[in-house]
Formats: sequence, structure tokens, C-alpha cells
Amino acid sequence: MTAEPKVAKSPAMIEARGVEKWYPNGFHALRGVDLTVQRGEVVVIMGPSGSGKSTFIRTFNALEEFQKGSITVDGIALNDDLRKIDAIRREVGMVFQQFNLFPHLSVLDNLTLAPVLVRKRSKGEVLNQAMALLERVGIAEQAHKFPGQLSGGQQQRVAIARSLCMEPRILLFDEPTSSLDPEMVREVLEVMQGLAADGMTMVVVTHEVGFARQVADRVVLMADGQVVEEATPERFFDHPQHERSRQFLSQIL
Amino acid sequence: MGPKPRLTPASLRKELFATPLDGLVTVLLVTGLAAAGSRLLHWALAQADWAVIQANSTLFAVGRYPIEQQWRLWLLVALLAAAAGLSWGVLRSRPLPDRPITALWPGNDRLATGILVLLASWAPAALGLTLSIQSRWWALTGLLVLVRWLAGRYGSRLGKTATLALPLVWPLLYLVGMVLIGGGLGLVTVGANEWGGLLLTLVEASFAILLSAPLGVLLALGRRSSLPLLRWGSIVYIEFIRGAPLITLLFLGQNILGFLLPGGMAPDRIWRAAWILTFFSAAYLAEAVRSGLAAVPRGQLEAARSLGLSLPQALAQVVLPQALRIALPATVGQFISLLQDTTLLSLIGLLDLLGTARSVMANPLFLGKSSEVYLTLAVLFWCCCAALGLGSRALERRLNPPSLGR
Ligand SMILES: Nc1ncnc2c1ncn2[C@@H]1O[C@H](COP(=O)(O)OP(=O)(O)O)[C@@H](O)[C@H]1O
Ligand SMILES: [Mg+2]
Repeated sequence: MTAEPKVAKSPAMIEARGVEKWYPNGFHALRGVDLTVQRGEVVVIMGPSGSGKSTFIRTFNALEEFQKGSITVDGIALNDDLRKIDAIRREVGMVFQQFNLFPHLSVLDNLTLAPVLVRKRSKGEVLNQAMALLERVGIAEQAHKFPGQLSGGQQQRVAIARSLCMEPRILLFDEPTSSLDPEMVREVLEVMQGLAADGMTMVVVTHEVGFARQVADRVVLMADGQVVEEATPERFFDHPQHERSRQFLSQIL
Repeated sequence: MGPKPRLTPASLRKELFATPLDGLVTVLLVTGLAAAGSRLLHWALAQADWAVIQANSTLFAVGRYPIEQQWRLWLLVALLAAAAGLSWGVLRSRPLPDRPITALWPGNDRLATGILVLLASWAPAALGLTLSIQSRWWALTGLLVLVRWLAGRYGSRLGKTATLALPLVWPLLYLVGMVLIGGGLGLVTVGANEWGGLLLTLVEASFAILLSAPLGVLLALGRRSSLPLLRWGSIVYIEFIRGAPLITLLFLGQNILGFLLPGGMAPDRIWRAAWILTFFSAAYLAEAVRSGLAAVPRGQLEAARSLGLSLPQALAQVVLPQALRIALPATVGQFISLLQDTTLLSLIGLLDLLGTARSVMANPLFLGKSSEVYLTLAVLFWCCCAALGLGSRALERRLNPPSLGR
């Protein structure tokens, strides 16, 4: 593929500076947000509903536009250049709260669609990789079923495998366990934990405190479109610095 | 849409005679229907004079198509029968996802085959066709049933690509059909003004169906586009067409196309009408497809785009397959009305099925035989529409992806 010039001064995977976003209806959703994510780092973003977490991480792969500030992903500046947006989307995987599997395709076809179409890889080679990934997330035996035949937890694991099949450098998770029944949350978190252990760079919006404590390198608290606090999990959960953080933690703990 | 309960005597009693009032309504309705039905049957078998149909059967079928060239039409009908059998059989060979067949009809396609065979063995004889023509119809029916059986038997061995390519048989057959009907490529030309009857009706309807389908999809996508010019253009077009009665558009089309294009450039009256039908139908299809598009969750496009698919790729691979499946019943409904709307062509002076019928009824020889003629037309249209409806329902059920808990 296109070899990106590795001249970027910062080795950071994601570098967001002063990002501001207004929705078309005039709502000021992001008010100058800064965030740096290093390679191999796992960053958990928390915050009350409506604080702009989804909006923020969706700017990383240009699902949302922003009006001010700058975002650099793996050395590529995110601007209006459509070809750069395509290049970034190939490197950034995203896992959604609602799974968003393609219901008309089998599990295996869900995984192979993008690598074959976008990366132009041969179907046979991708099939092998897809089976290996399904093995890794523990659902190889469901490969030929359709998404509608799987439980929520299984669907979310397929969604993770689908993202991995594109061999992304970063994975974004937007509340991956929020629409799962409690008994299925763990199977998904375990897969995510395994990814982190393998050195995947991850930005995870979640309210799973246990996961954040165990896996996160840093926790970021957002409120009203701004970053309120940024700290290691121990500091954040045990000694929150800001009133807003204490208030938030008292609600979820 | 839960599974329908099976019809049993007990469930029938519960459905039809739940309360005394229900029972009374049932009894009245059944007696009424039986009385009307037996009268119609009595009229059709004893009183009606079917000579008008027998004497004009060729006219109804193909209009004034030259006799010495009619073998081309027979060949086309044979190809059509083979293609229909192939599609039917392959559809049959696809597994039905989880849902059991509950409805007696039209769920059971053996019954449809039985009715077809019965009709085909009885109707040609009843119409008093010559023996050689009767036997041709029998052979054609046999061909259809044989291909259906073969395709049903071996269709599941077809690969995925072959199955996906199969629908392309129909546009291809249309092109072949147009050469066979109109001439060219070494065949003698038969001008469009010599086509008539069912032939003309089907040529017009299939032209409009095949072309309005892609046009409708493009209009629906245009209507949701973020480019203002494209969006407003689509909206204006769709709303203009849907606001005008088809008959005015047909008259307008005959005149305007004649004015706009210099002499000789304007297509023949028959093709002008076909284009108007196409443009008309496309606007309605666009609305059917739009409702399908609206039913696909936003997350589908977002997931596809976040995997790196371009917008055209995401639409073609992810959004449209789902939207079109949802829009299928409304789309086929539109095709069925389109087929029926072709009867308006008789009002602009074309000899389609209805136009031919009107010219026949104007003949003093057949005065007062309009009931026989109209009943025949109704049955012919009903057969065509029933085939479309059955096919679409069978397709729809097989396109439903399997899911939990059904
Ligand atoms: N398409 C939109 N148009 C206008 N406002 C929006 C839109 N999407 C989200 N918002 C608003 O932006 C704010 C942040 O939303 P979101 O990023 O989804 O929050 P979170 O993920 O933290 O719950 C909310 O107040 C929400 O109402
Ligand atoms: Mg959110």
C-alpha cells in the first residue's frame, strides 16, 4: 500500500489539538478538546451521557467533521482531503454499541468484505485470516451463521473480529458493552483485554470501571464537550482531582 | 409477522363461528359467494358465446403481426418458458430460512404448477385452436415444467456467483426478444405498428419494468444525496410525476416529444408511450426504494465507511441489498400496477390488449359480446399479475436472512 512518510515529529498514534465541533443545528458539542494517544496505549474515556464522548472518537475516523483544531492519526493529518480520509479509515477500526454487523451477510462474509474490497487481498487468504480471528474471539463454530442467529455478546465479538480483519493500527470502541445483557459483558471485555495485552492501541468509551482499572493506561473524563480530568486509573478512581470527576464517580461506583 | 397458525377444522370453526353474529356473517357471505359463483359459472359454460374469442385469438395474442414471421414469436415464447422454469426452479431449490410453509396457497408451488398444467391443457382446446397450435402450447408448458423440475433438482449445485447472475437472464432475454420481435440481425423487420394485443402489452410493460428499476434506484439515492442540485432535481421530478395522472402524461408525451425533436428523430408512438410509462413508474419506484433506504439503520453505512469502503462500495454492498429487499413487495406492487396501467395505451390509440379488444367489439359481427371479451382480458391480466406476485413472495421469503427466535 502507500508507504506513509514517517517524518511525523511526534510518534503519537492520535494527536488531537483544540478540537471544536458544532452540529448543523448550532449545538457546540466539542469545546477545544486535546488528547494524545501513544502507540500501544489503551485510553478509556468516561463521562456523563451527552458529554460528547461519541462525537469525539467519531472525529478520529471522520465519521464526524470538526470545525476548529487539528487531528493527526498515525502521522496523517485529518482534513478535507478525501483520499486521506480513506487512508485513515483503513487504519482505524471502530466497534459500535449496536454492533452494526451486516445482517444480510454471513459472519464470515462480514469479516472478508472490507479486506477484499478495500485492501484488494485475495479471498482465499482473507478467509484463512478470518477463520483464525473468529477462533481468537472464540466463535469459529458460528462462521457460517448469520448475525441475526447470534447472541449480543457473540455479535459484538464478531464485530471486533471484523475490525481486526482489516489489520488496523488503532481500534475505537464506543460503549461496546452498553447494550449487552450482564452475563455477556465479560466475554466481550475478555476479548478486548486480550487485544490490549497484544499491544493494540485502543480508545475505549466505556463505564466498565473494572476494565478501566485493569487495562487502561489512562482514563479521561469528559463533560460538556471538554476534557475535565486525565489521569492514571489509580489516581482517577482513588484520588479524583476535580469536583466534576467526584460527582461522576459517585454516580457510577 | 409471527408464523401463521395452520388451518385445521377446529381452528376454522374458531375463526369463522366464534360468536353467533360471526356465524351469521359467515353463513350469509358463503351463500352469497356460492350463489354469485354458480351464476357466473352457469353463464360462462351455458350462456356465453365464446366464438368472439375463438375467432380473434391470434389478434388478441399478437395483433396484426405477419403470419409468416410468427415462428419468431413461438421461439421467443419457448425461451421465455425456459427462463421462467429456470428462475422458478432455482428459487425453489434455495432453502427457506427457518420459517415453515404455513399458507396452503400460494405457499405451495406444486399447486401453482398443477393449475398451470390444467389451464394449459384445457384452455387451448376450449379456445378451439387447431391441433398443431394446441400441441405447441402443450409442448411449451411441458418445457416450462421440465426446466423447473431440472433447475429445482440441480439448482442448489449452482455457485453463489451463478445464482447472483441468474436474474440477468431476463434483461438479456429482453434484448433477444426485441430482435426476434422487431427484426434485424438478418431477420425481416416487423414495424412496431404491426405489433398488437398481448404482445404489445407485454413489450411495453417489460420495457418499462426493466428500465424504471435502475432509474428508480438512482432517483431514490439522488433524493437522499447531500448534493443540493441532485437532491432538488430528484424531488422535483418525483413530485411532478406523482402529481400528474398517467393519462395526461401519455397525451403530453405523444405531443411534446413530437414537438421537441425534429421530424423523424422522435421515437415511434409505441416507444414514446414506453418511455412515458418508464418515467412514470420510476417516480413511484423511487418512493418504494426510498422507504427501503430509510429502513436501513444509519449504523450500517457508518460501519461500512469505518471499514474503509467508499460510498459507492458501501451503498452497493451493504445498504442497497438490505433496502431493496425491504422495498421488494412495494416494488413488485408497482410493477403490477404498471402492467395494468398499460391498458391506458388504448386511449391514445395503440392496439394493446384492451385496444385490440375494443376494435374487436366494434365489429358488428361481435355486437353485444363485451362480457366475454372483458372476462377474458381480466383472466389474462390476473394470470400475469398472479405470476409476478407469487414470484416476488417466494423471492422475498428466501432473501430474508435467517435469525434467532423465529
Ligand atoms: N446529529 C446531532 N445533531 C445535533 N446534536 C447532536 C447530534 N448528535 C449528538 N448531538 C448532541 O451532542 C451532544 C454529545 O453527544 P454524544 O457525543 O453522542 O454524547 P455521549 O456519547 O457522550 O453520550 C449531546 O448533547 C447530543 O444531544
Ligand atoms: Mg455515546
